[in-house]
Amino acid sequence: MSDLANAIADLKEDEAKKIVQDRIAAGANPMSIVDECRKGMEIVGERYKNKEYFLGELIMSGEIFKDAMSVVEPRLKAGQSGKPLAKLVLGTAKGDIHNIGKDIAGTLLRAAGFEVYDVGIDVPPDVFVQKVKEMGATILGMSGLLTPSFESMKQTIQALEAAGLRDKVKVVIGGGIVTEMVRKYVGADAFTDDAPEGVEICKKFVVGLGK
Amino acid sequence: MTKETMNPGQRVKAAINLESYDRVPAAPLMDVMFPSRHKGMTVADGISHPKQGFQAIVDVFDEVGGWDAMILPGYSLPIPPKIGAFLHGAIGDTRYPGKDASLSLDSPPQFVEKELLTLADYDDIASLGWTGFCEKNFNRFFPFDREMALNWCKRQIDRYKTEGELWTARGIPSLAGSIVMSPLMLLSTRRSLVSFTQDLYRCPDKVQAAMDGMIDDFITVAIEAAKYTNIPGVQLILERGGCFYYPLKIFERFEFPYMKKMVEAFAAENLITVMHFDQDWTLNLPYLLELPKKMCICELDSTTDIFKAKEILKSHMCIMGDVPATLNSIGTPAEMQAYCEKLIDVVGKGKTGFILSTGCTIPSDTRFENFKTMIDTAKNHFPN
Repeated sequence: MSDLANAIADLKEDEAKKIVQDRIAAGANPMSIVDECRKGMEIVGERYKNKEYFLGELIMSGEIFKDAMSVVEPRLKAGQSGKPLAKLVLGTAKGDIHNIGKDIAGTLLRAAGFEVYDVGIDVPPDVFVQKVKEMGATILGMSGLLTPSFESMKQTIQALEAAGLRDKVKVVIGGGIVTEMVRKYVGADAFTDDAPEGVEICKKFVVGLGK
Repeated sequence: MTKETMNPGQRVKAAINLESYDRVPAAPLMDVMFPSRHKGMTVADGISHPKQGFQAIVDVFDEVGGWDAMILPGYSLPIPPKIGAFLHGAIGDTRYPGKDASLSLDSPPQFVEKELLTLADYDDIASLGWTGFCEKNFNRFFPFDREMALNWCKRQIDRYKTEGELWTARGIPSLAGSIVMSPLMLLSTRRSLVSFTQDLYRCPDKVQAAMDGMIDDFITVAIEAAKYTNIPGVQLILERGGCFYYPLKIFERFEFPYMKKMVEAFAAENLITVMHFDQDWTLNLPYLLELPKKMCICELDSTTDIFKAKEILKSHMCIMGDVPATLNSIGTPAEMQAYCEKLIDVVGKGKTGFILSTGCTIPSDTRFENFKTMIDTAKNHFPN
């Protein structure tokens, strides 16, 4: 395991920052730095799954990862970042303005190699559908912390159907009160109340989608 | 219907004291949102017209044939007219339907996470205490007149007291005469979750010093409010310090010592602490055994394992909860009945120590028939 991956996994913020700067200064391939950062985030995900880490550690590691990317990404040449696992549209459903869960999920999905289009909070069905269409996304992630968001999630999935996109797009819903009952009610393919699990679900979608 | 041999006050008191009751008491965490919609008003109407909003709650109570206790008597706030008390709840950006054009008139009020307290504020809070910090910084958070804020507090707490008295006149106790956050909860929500989490890792001593500076003022105000409203309980709002968010080492340093100090101070004044746990606290439950016996209610929202809570806390404190919001919102009466019967059979086992309640506030889009089923099940299903 590289020292950078370990620094991220152990939440050593200053150390991770210094290693990234030193590597850049030494002329390292920026993409190799990205890969090491992703490896560090994978370890964080494993520790979370093993209940060694909690949401706080996901937040800390996510912030360290974002800082590293802000240094490395401008140095990546066009096309160098590799093909994303999949394109994914993410947002909080209409009627709900909570953003924490969505933002954490977005960071972890990017770290895992997804191309994420965050359409924000309080997002109406037509905006979700339009963005899916525009980006050619194959996954839609909708977040909600309040029960009124269920109705707009349902309407969004109906709008995907009406646009002829439902069989091309997998839908995952997330949020603190989302359950199997909600998944069935809105017609989503999967649900989660746990951001790292959401990443795993999306990876499974990719396999299922034949990417 | 089972044969009732106790009145609501006796039944609730027995539950808190871990004594036998005739049936499981029901005490939903009610506010004006669902009742307003049920009575044909919007949520915005119910919030902006307190008398009509309160009447809607009373109407729902009567339509379902009543329940056993109010956790909070209405939708007013028990805030003593003091700047520190005012800012305890009022530093923040909460959007209200009818006032914020981006929300529908039937939307619940929604809290917007913003970084309103700065890193430098920790030192100020540590040296001045919460009250001193608020006195110094009032106009930084609110541009309007201090007297206006204090008069608003007075109106709120007087209305809260009156609402409590109206329930008392009906023989229905209210459980909380005061509402307070833990220091961690206040700092996390007002620094924002991400920044606060970074603070915990980057400058833990600074955070702890601020918490030490806040705690006594929080306790004083909470006791003062409960005494003024004459309702012998305090609702302690807890979400961000549990195992959903942080490992136990953070809970042990930044949350539990303050929770404990608060609960012990309230118990010394004969006030029951209703510990309102949002999100998952399952790993934290064993610590609650260190709190004063029979002086707390463990109020769960359906994300903590309530069955585990019963196993751990059954001889120590009353458990309250935890009908999921989704069941009230999109479930069926049959699903509601099955869930409530399971709670009564397992968490209410031994005919003591359990109060059937909603998991957090009853949702605004509750289906009336589901809610009625919840209350009916408490009345009709005997615990084993």
